[in-house]
Amino acid sequence: MDFDSELDASGLNCPLPILRAKKAISALDAGQTLKIIATDPGSVKDFEAFCKQTGNELVSSGEEDGKFVFAI
Amino acid sequence: MSQRLSGPERRESILSAAQGLFANKGLHGVSVDEIARAVNVSPAILYRHFNSKQALYNAVLEKFSCQRQSYVDTIVNHGTRFEDALAGMTQVFIENVAKNPDILKIELHSLLEGNPATLAFFQNRWKSFTDYIEFGLNEYLPYDVPNREKTILTAGLMFQGMVREVLIQKCLQPQDRLIDLSLYELSNELVALFLRSIGINKTHLSRKATISG
Repeated sequence: MDFDSELDASGLNCPLPILRAKKAISALDAGQTLKIIATDPGSVKDFEAFCKQTGNELVSSGEEDGKFVFAI
Repeated sequence: MSQRLSGPERRESILSAAQGLFANKGLHGVSVDEIARAVNVSPAILYRHFNSKQALYNAVLEKFSCQRQSYVDTIVNHGTRFEDALAGMTQVFIENVAKNPDILKIELHSLLEGNPATLAFFQNRWKSFTDYIEFGLNEYLPYDVPNREKTILTAGLMFQGMVREVLIQKCLQPQDRLIDLSLYELSNELVALFLRSIGINKTHLSRKATISG
């Protein structure tokens, strides 16, 4: 999968990954995809809620090498 | 004779009684027998749901973790200005503890008990604030501020101490002299005082202090 931008929020606790994702998304155009890497287990629920509230699509959400990877 | 409850109801009643006992007496101050007596069951039934006191204690912490209010609403609705998000996060955290002060009592007990896993659990709760403050200050605090690194590191600690003390004063030991200030007002005053204390005036913050991606 190709991404237009990538954000590594490893080691950071909520809400920083969300906050940084929000900023990164604002720099993208509609239809572009942002990849986010996070290590906070709470980020799974948080990104679901974030997408629901902001109308962004959570294209994928999964685990890779002990880290959580999201595509928005 | 104990009331007949379904498995999940029984589990919930044990958890609820254990939470209150751990909050008042700490992990080591409570025995499994005492928790079993509080819910009117035999220790054997309690062990059917939780195989040790530590497992029960962990389940109480897990329950707090699930009840944790997310900061997502705050970030989505309060914008990305440093002070607005910090004030919003503080509100969420404070309201959460005020609704269920047992978590604060359990945290204070855990500081003396020194169980590494429990300490890590509580440190992780505060890490949301310390990460946010450290990251935010590192982004925009002028580079010529004296002792910049130490200021950034200690600012998070200072904030944690202030919030925890306000919660102790308002939720555990209500003080007459603070009676006219609501927890909400105290929290706002605290954030404002914190911002001034790290040498940033609010006007400057409002214009410039956003967290970049």
